[in-house]
Parts: sequence; C-alpha cells; structure tokens
Amino acid sequence: MKIGIDVGGTFTDFLLAENDGTSSIYKVLSTPRDPSVGLLNGLREMSGTRKMTLEDFIKEVDIIVHGTTVTTNAVLTYTGAKTGLLTTKGLRDALEMRRGIREEQYNNRYTNVKPLVPRYLRQPIEERLDYKGDVITDLVEEDVREAVQTFREENVEAVAICFMNSFANKTHEEQAAEIIRKEMPGKYLTVSADLLPSIRFYDRISTTVLNSYVGPILKSYLLSLTSKLDDIGFSGVLLIMQSNGGVISPDIAMDNAAVTLLSGPAAGPVAGIAYTSIQGYDDCITVDMGGTSFDAALIRNRTPLITTEGEINRLRLALPMLGIVTVGAGGGSIGWIDEGGLLRMGPQSAGSLPGPVCYDCGGKKPACTDADLILGYLDKDFFAGGKIPLNYEKARAAIKEQIADKLNYSVEEAAAGMYSVINSNMASGVREVSVKRGFDPREFPLVVAGGAGPIHACEIAHELEIPVIIIPKESSIFCAAGMLMSDLKHDFVRTYAASFDEIDIERFQKLFREMEAEGNRLLSTEKIPSERIEYRFALDLRYVKQYHEVTVSVTREAVEKGNLESLVTGFHPEHNRLYGYSLEKEGTPVELINMRLSCIGRTDKPKFLEEDFDGADPAKAFKGTREVYIPSARKFQTINVYDGFKLGYGNMVDGPAIIEQVNTSTFVTPDYRVASDRYGSYTMYLKDREEEFKGRVFK
Amino acid sequence: MTEIDKILVSVLQRRFKSITEEMSIALARTTRSPILCEAKDFVTGLYDARGKMLEQTENLPILSFSLGPVCEYILKYYGDEIYPGDVIFHNDVFSMGNQNNDVAVYKPIFYRDKLVAWAACKGHQADIGGNVAGGYNPNATEVWQEALRIPPVKVYEKGKLRKDVWDLIFANIRYDIVAEDMRAEIGSCVVGERGLLAIVEKYGIDVFESHKDYLFQATEKMMKAEIRTIPNGTYHGEANVYYDGRHPGSRFKIRVDITVRDEEIIFDYSETDPQTNGFVNGTFTSSASATVLTFLQMVNPDMPHNDGMIRPIKIIIPEGTILNASYPKATTFGNHLCPPNADSIIRALASAIPERITAGWNQLLCGLTTGTDQRKNAKFVDIVFLGLKGGSGATKGVDGYDHIGMIDASGGVLDQDYEMFEQQTPHLLLEHEYWRDSAGAGQYRGGLGIITKFMIGSDDTTVVTFGDGDVEPAFGLFGGKDSTLNKINLIYPDDRVYKTTSKDLVENVPAGTVWSQRAGGGGGYGDPLKRSAAVVAEEVRNGIISFESAKNDYGVIVDPDTYEVDEEATGRARRE
Repeated sequence: MKIGIDVGGTFTDFLLAENDGTSSIYKVLSTPRDPSVGLLNGLREMSGTRKMTLEDFIKEVDIIVHGTTVTTNAVLTYTGAKTGLLTTKGLRDALEMRRGIREEQYNNRYTNVKPLVPRYLRQPIEERLDYKGDVITDLVEEDVREAVQTFREENVEAVAICFMNSFANKTHEEQAAEIIRKEMPGKYLTVSADLLPSIRFYDRISTTVLNSYVGPILKSYLLSLTSKLDDIGFSGVLLIMQSNGGVISPDIAMDNAAVTLLSGPAAGPVAGIAYTSIQGYDDCITVDMGGTSFDAALIRNRTPLITTEGEINRLRLALPMLGIVTVGAGGGSIGWIDEGGLLRMGPQSAGSLPGPVCYDCGGKKPACTDADLILGYLDKDFFAGGKIPLNYEKARAAIKEQIADKLNYSVEEAAAGMYSVINSNMASGVREVSVKRGFDPREFPLVVAGGAGPIHACEIAHELEIPVIIIPKESSIFCAAGMLMSDLKHDFVRTYAASFDEIDIERFQKLFREMEAEGNRLLSTEKIPSERIEYRFALDLRYVKQYHEVTVSVTREAVEKGNLESLVTGFHPEHNRLYGYSLEKEGTPVELINMRLSCIGRTDKPKFLEEDFDGADPAKAFKGTREVYIPSARKFQTINVYDGFKLGYGNMVDGPAIIEQVNTSTFVTPDYRVASDRYGSYTMYLKDREEEFKGRVFK
Repeated sequence: MTEIDKILVSVLQRRFKSITEEMSIALARTTRSPILCEAKDFVTGLYDARGKMLEQTENLPILSFSLGPVCEYILKYYGDEIYPGDVIFHNDVFSMGNQNNDVAVYKPIFYRDKLVAWAACKGHQADIGGNVAGGYNPNATEVWQEALRIPPVKVYEKGKLRKDVWDLIFANIRYDIVAEDMRAEIGSCVVGERGLLAIVEKYGIDVFESHKDYLFQATEKMMKAEIRTIPNGTYHGEANVYYDGRHPGSRFKIRVDITVRDEEIIFDYSETDPQTNGFVNGTFTSSASATVLTFLQMVNPDMPHNDGMIRPIKIIIPEGTILNASYPKATTFGNHLCPPNADSIIRALASAIPERITAGWNQLLCGLTTGTDQRKNAKFVDIVFLGLKGGSGATKGVDGYDHIGMIDASGGVLDQDYEMFEQQTPHLLLEHEYWRDSAGAGQYRGGLGIITKFMIGSDDTTVVTFGDGDVEPAFGLFGGKDSTLNKINLIYPDDRVYKTTSKDLVENVPAGTVWSQRAGGGGGYGDPLKRSAAVVAEEVRNGIISFESAKNDYGVIVDPDTYEVDEEATGRARRE
C-alpha cells in the first residue's frame, strides 16, 4: 500500500492506494502546531475503517509520500529559527536591500520586507575572492570567532555563510564553516557554495539564508514524525515532496530544507501528467482553484517547466522549482466596484472564515462562491454533500447591494459579471504560464482540480480557446494523488562562465561527472538501484554580453562527445520562441554560464483501477433538473443534473449540464460534451471536435 | 456603435496590462546593456490607432509619458505612408522625445490592412554618439554635441530592412551592443503586436474600438474622482536646481502653481527660470512625465495607466524655461530635473493633502564609468546604479523606503547584482551598505541612504557624474528633519582625493582609484520626539542610527550594553 499525504491549512488530504489499484480518499482536520498529530489521526482513521489496529495497518504500508507546508508557513509568519549570517565585509546589507526594488512604484505606503536575519546578526567577515575565485584577501579567522561570540550571546539557532564570488571557489566558506562546526556544534549550518554554487550574489545569499531559517524547524518536525512512525512500527519508506516536483528522503531534506519551501502545489503538475498521459498526451496545463488562490502550471513532454527565479514572500529563492503561477482568485475572492465604476474580483478573499456570504458565518462581502450559487452552479442543499447549507437570500442581498445596484444591473447580471471577471483573472494566470513563455494554450489539454475548479473550467477554457478539459477523479485531493506519482529528484548546478569557443571540454565534462557522482551517491543512500536512475543535462546559455540566460536541455551523448556545436543547436530556436528573434544567422557567439544536472530515481507508481464499460447512456445517474445561468445565451435555462458517483465508464453527458460530487460540482457549457473514462475521470471536449478527442478516451 | 459589455472592458484592461508586461519581460531578458537588463531603464506600451495610450509598463516612469505624444507626432509625420511591417526609430527631443539616449521603437499594428494600434518601447541606450561615450556631456551647449538625432526614421519598411539606414545610424554609435539592444526592442514590439492582434481577432475591431473608448472614459472618471478629493485652490511650490555644469555656483528655480478646480488639476510652470546655457535643461515631455509620475504617487496606485488617466491633468510649461528648452539647446540632463520638479510639487501640495504627500526624496547623484576592460580587451560602459539609490521621503504613518533611488524610478530601477558587476566591469566592489544616520529624523524617518565604494580596475577610465543633491539635502516636513548630502569622491592610488562636482567629466582615471560615493537619505515626517522609542533602540542595535543621533535627534537614550531604552532618561530628554 502507498499513502500520499498533503497537509493543507485547513485539511490534511490522504490518498490511500492499494496494490490492486483501488484507492480511497480521506480528509482530517490539520493540526498546525504539530502537523504530525493530524497525520497520525488520518492513519488511525484509515486503520479504523479497516477494523485493524494502527500497528497492524502500518505494517502493510510500503511508502508514505508527504508534502508539508511547515517551511512555507515559517517564512510567511516569521517563525523560523533565529539565524546568523556570515558574509563578506562591506556587503552585509545585500540581503535586506533586495537590489533596491519597490514592487509598487506609485505606492508610498508600501514597505520593504522584513529581513529574515536582522542587521546586527549579519556579521561582516574580512576576506575576498575576485570574479574568477582567486584570493585577493585571506579569510580573517578572528572575525569568524568574534561572530561566533555574538551568535552565542544572542542564542542563534542556525547559521548561514555566503561570501562574494564563492561560486567560483568555496575554500573561504569551507574555512569559516569548519570554525562554526567546531565552535557551535549541532547548530544548523548552510554553506552557499554547497547549496547553490552559481553566480548572482543576491540570489545565493537570499536562498542560503532561507535554508538556515527554515532548517531547524523542518529538521525537528521530520525527526518527530519519523519517531512517531517508528513507534507504531512503520518499516516502509518515507519521502518528502520538494518544490521541484520530485521527492527526497527525510535525511537529505533536513540539510536542504529550502527545497521544500514551495512544495505545496508542486505535486499538482505531476498528477496532471499522470491523468493526461493515460490518454496519450505529452503536454498539458494544470490548474488548481482553491479558496483564495489559483495555481497554474504548464507541462511539456511530460516534464513540468522549471524556474530558478522563484520568490517566497518577496524573498528570492533561486533553487530550481516548478514554474507555478499563483493568482489571487478562488472561491472566496471578493467582488467590488472601483472608483471608475468597473467591476473587480479579488485579490482580497473572504477565506474560509468568515467565508463567502452564503456560508452564513458572518461574511458580508459578496464572493465568487456567492455568484456561483446565484447562477445555479451550486445547489444550496448539496454543498459539501449537504453538510454545509448555503444561504441563498443573503448572498443575493449582498450582490444586489454591493454590485448590482452600483452597476444598474440585475442581481443575475451582476453575478454573471463576477463569474466572468474571475474567469478572466484565472485565464490570465494560465496565459502567464503559456503565452508569456511562448506557448499556445490551445494546444494543451487543461487539467482542472480543486473544489471550485470544475465550475469555472469550461469558461476558462473558452476564453483561451482550449478544446479539451480533463477533470480527474481525485480532483479534490489532486496534490495528494500527485505525490504518489512523483520520482526522487536531486538538482545540481555549477557556474562555468565562458564563451563557447573558449570552453575547456575536459573541465566541462569533469563538472558534469562531479554532479553525477554526487547524485548517484544521494540516490544510493535512498536505495535506488542504478538501472532506475535517469539524468537530465541542461545548459544556461545566452548570446555574448546578454545578461540573462535561456536554459536548454542537452543529451548525455553530446556532453560525452564534447561536440560544442551540437550542444548549442537547441538555443537559437528557443530564444526566438521566447523573445521574437534569434541571432543564429548573424553568427553572434553564444556563451555558457551555468551547467545543470537533475538526477532522477524512478519510483513504483500506483496502478489506476479500470472500470468496466457501461455504455454511453447516463440515465441512471440522472438526478433532476434545475435553473442554471448559461453565459453564452446570457440567460437562465433548465438543464440536467447528474450524480457523478453513478456515472460509469463510457457514459456521455451533453452540455449544458451539471455533474455533482460531494466535493466538487462540474458545470458543462452547451458547447462541450463530457465522457467518463475508464478511471472515473471526466473528459470534456468541444462537441464539434469530437473526432479528435473521443478516441483518446475510449482507446 | 456596438453595445458596451462592461465586463469585457475589465477583461480587456487586464489583457492590455499583461501584454505590456510580456513585452517588458522580453526586453529585460534579451538586452545586453546592464542599464536595460539589470536596471530596467525602459518602458513598454500599447497605443491606439491615434497614438493614445492603451496601457504601459513603466519600469522607469520618466521615460514613459512621452511615448504617446511621439506616436501622435509619427502619425502626423508619415500621414498615409505607414505600412504593415514598418519599424520606426525615434529619439529626437525636439519632436517630443524626452532624452537623447532614450531611443524608442514604434511598430504599427495592422489588422486586415487597417492600422488598429501601435506597440512601442523605449530604453536608455548605452551610447548614442555625440562627444562623450554614454551621452552625458556636461560641456554641451547644443544637441549635436550630445547625440545623434533620430527624428522618426523607418528602419524597416513593409517588412524589409533598410540596410543603408540601419548602417548609417549604427555607424554613428560607439558600442556594438546598442544595435543588439535595438533588435531586442524590436523583438519586444513583436511580442506586443502578437498579443494585441489576438485580441482584435477574437472580438473584432468594432468591439475593440468601442470598449477601448469606454475604458478611457472609466479611467478618466476614476482620476477625476481622485482630484475631487483635493480641496479647490491654487498652491505654489518651489525648488532649486544647482549648477548647470558650466558655471560654478549657478542656481535655478523651478516654480509651480497648481490649481485644483473640482475635477481638473493644472500644473503651471510659467514662473520657472529660463533655460541654462549648458545641458541642464528639460524637454516638455521629460518635465511633463515628471509631473505626472509625482502626482500619481498621491492618488490611488491601482489606477489603469491609459489616456483617460491623464486627460484631467493639464500641464503648462512655456518654451525657453529650464523645463522646456528651445531648439537647439543641450538637454541630456533633463530627465534628472524630475527630483527638483517633484520637490516643488510636494511643497505646493503639502498643506492641501498632508496625509498623502511624502517629505523630500533623496535627489539623484549618479555616475558612470567607461573605458576598456583590460581583462577581456573589450569596451565597457556602466552606469553605477547600485551607488545612486538613496532614501525616499517619509509619509504619515510610514517610514521612507531605504535605498530606493530617485523618485523618477521609485524603486523600479535595480542595483546590478554584485557578482555580475564584477564580471561585466573590471571593478572590484569594496562596500555597499546602509549609511548610518543618513535618514532625516522624524516621527516617521526618511529612507536610508547608502555608501558605495569600488576600486576602478582599468587605466584610462573615464568617469562622468550627473545629478544634484550635493548642496541641499532632502527636506523634512511637519517637524521632520532634513537628511544628508550626496557626494562622489575619487581617491587616486597616490591618496589624492578628487571631489567631483555634480556634473563632471574626469578622464584618464588610473586603475586602483577608489570610487567613494554617498547617496543621502530621505526627509523625515513629523516630530522625531514622537517616534516610538523601542523602534529607535532597535535601529541603534542594527547600527543604522548612532547612539548620538538617538539622543540628539530623537531624545531616546539607549543602553550601550543591552540596547534597551533607558525609559527614565528618555522621558527626561524628551520633556526638555
């Protein structure tokens, strides 16, 4: 058995996958103070439903994959470790200055982010390397010892070391680290040249500090979790989700805590690949609409896009992570009228408390969910399977007073406007991961997850002209499902700045071999046999004198052959696709900045259980009809409502229709048709393009 | 007339915004000059068929409010000879350009053979010919000593490169990277064109036109509502400009009368001093941009940036004044008259909207180095962005922003990354830290200034300085204190110190010379004795306020061992 566990702010989601392919979903309340308590509660509930003791149950579990937000929350709430920083004398404010950016230029009330290390704990060290890594000034060990003295007096719990140009020579950082290890034994320590040996000082110092800031917290959490699992006799493998979409053993995660900082939504794209590859797709766009935010990601060749320019709370995190774009749009997004009389949605959210007006928990501002209710997409008596009755009248009154009257619209028109504006906000999130990166969204199936996602899916797809939408069976616990499908993954980088005609091919190959050996070592401690290891080679390239690079993947053969020409061929078309031109014809020289290697250890994936064919007729799932707003017709119509649990493999539902499940409701617009596939997921496609898509569902 | 779908108006506004952002990303990622790709000294925008602004992304707003006027000029200039596939360059300050170095690209967007819109962008190019590499020539008195003038010129016509025109332009510019960076500007316009055409194809030209007009009206309404919150009246403000680069001790006044009448605001600079006989002169568009961007900081920051936004704002700047020089005066310094212009506006409106204005910002004092990087035997030019960023003025309830830089960028222009700086120039960075006690004291203190030192790495380096703030510091308001002065010194290897003036050109600077720069802080707001003593103590612990300043400026006595507030002594000091 395998268990995927996604700890969220309110609920902890579980997907239990049996060896025979059956699976079950569990949700328990999260326990933010010590998330392992909620996690154990969930395991206990699972054993209870099987009438087993927890100890007997856990013996049958081979793998637990766990996504945690403890590091994310520590940064967002400033509850990480008290951290001290050693950095090159004269440059200790780089961390706080963030290169002098004010993100809101016209807003004089906008303040800088509080630094994770206050200035008095940023200790200057006399030492200096030049741009090539050659020593200009030796490290003054006395400075390090003095800093240690301060750190001890101030009860510092974690230390970060980042010196200028250390990407090219780590000896000074190592020398300082030796002293810290000796003088402050047991304290969490991050050395920048180990964590991220690549050029760009601010990126490196910020990432290094983030790692130390969250390190002790992650470490103590994982130690507590592993000991609890030990106590109940768990003898399988525990794996932790990373921001890069891969998983990692707890021991390695403890030393590189920053790799988990944006792991929350990172399992989504992996799940998206699983659900689309069944139908033979290599590419897809995944979206996950929650209460306050909407996450979008793009996958190409079954590989999610990776960025090294991520941020958390406006702090740079330069480790590779999935390029997920988050937009402030969710079921709780509030509608309002601006001074010019235009309707806006969000980014303020009613959250889960007080929540939208219709929850009747004190919310006064009309939210997206209120509009969904007025428009008939939600049934006031069947929200969360009927557990939460929705107050239709209050939602109506709030929309009337705060939106409709101000626009001189009817309540229905205003609700339709709210629905349309938020769909457009979400569509621009999708555009950001696709169009802005040079991809045409029309060529990608859209995988839609999250409780509110399937209500909005057709209209988002419509705005982007996306012809096919896939709503996974596990859409409400999408990320927990994705965790079970993730592989082990370790990313490495080395900076080697050189024009292409000057590259010393032996040094080039040696750097790759070094990274490969390190990856093999880590994966062997994670018990991955060599035949299950894959490598992804990539280079960060640019035209000579440009400042920013384009990451281009290369083959192992090209690296081993040392054929520079073949290494650079992928660069020109990629540059053109992204930025509208290339300089291949002009013969402009190309230069190398960074070399990257990802080492991937393939894990066993859960099987999907296949249902038997049930014919096209969905009649037995028919629940009744109701009045629902049809955006293209701009009016309400009576349409069919189906019970999602009763739809079987092969059943076809024509839009307009509503399909209800406990945790989600799917709105099918008139131009789409839904086919329920053999794994219980829904595929919606444009009726007039059925020939292209139907075959994939029923192949 | 098509029926207006108000929801679609909101959707289109968002879409225009995201297209100009896409254009901005493309430009930042592909340009070579650190001025563009690291500091983002550029703007990208979309304009309608008449040249009216649809939306802009303004990394450096001082460039931005001239793109529209130039677009209108280009339309008039070419008449009906604008074709699909054209690409037009422009920098000429006597046809609505703002600064010679800010070179714009305009690309007309055609849909079914009809001109429907323009994509444009403009960036500060590393060189534009003229007497001095990099363009800042304090000895210039006429435009030809400063730059190659590019009135509108087509470098592509009907999709075909005009090779002779291209070569003529770049034969007059020192650095190869400028041609590459202009290609990047064209690429950015292609990105904008793709995005805008997708909209027109989807909704049709009639819907696009009518909804765009409605958007302009809605935004105009929004700006009028903002203006209505300012009490009616006429408000007078003044600020000084020191030294024209040629006459030591010279001083000029900017004078503005701001009249607010219900939904309209008029900025009248008629009483401003006459133009100088140096390069310290503004152009109409650089000065008007300064006015607009300063005013935008006093209204709802969330307003869409389009033609409707600027309609209720009237700006009067007579030709022949220091803010609107007449042909053929030198004007390269003109963008940098924004800080004193902003000061005059802030001073004027301080009494009318005290809760919305800031105290004075640190004025720009900037430098650049050019020469040959002997490590690579290649030319380099580098504006020292990381050294110029002082603090902003405090406002009611909020301290000034530390190390933000001049008000014309307001934190949109970034420091070079330190390690990239050492790769791309021969220099070695020695210090780049907050400058203790540089901020103007106040209940809300000004933003901190910074200290920057680096060792110049190649012989025969040329140093240019341009700016202000070395005579008069950023001013405090409502009891807040003034801040500290800017300066740039060159410490030669023989320890000789050369104190640069605020507009200087120093040649043959040897390797090993230390560039030592101080960028001052911002002005304080409100009585410093009312500042939280605990916050002052924390700032002493962090070394950004000295014990002496805590005592003398804030009346806060901090224990030197524990960094705790000595409550009793503080109470006494604050009473006295």
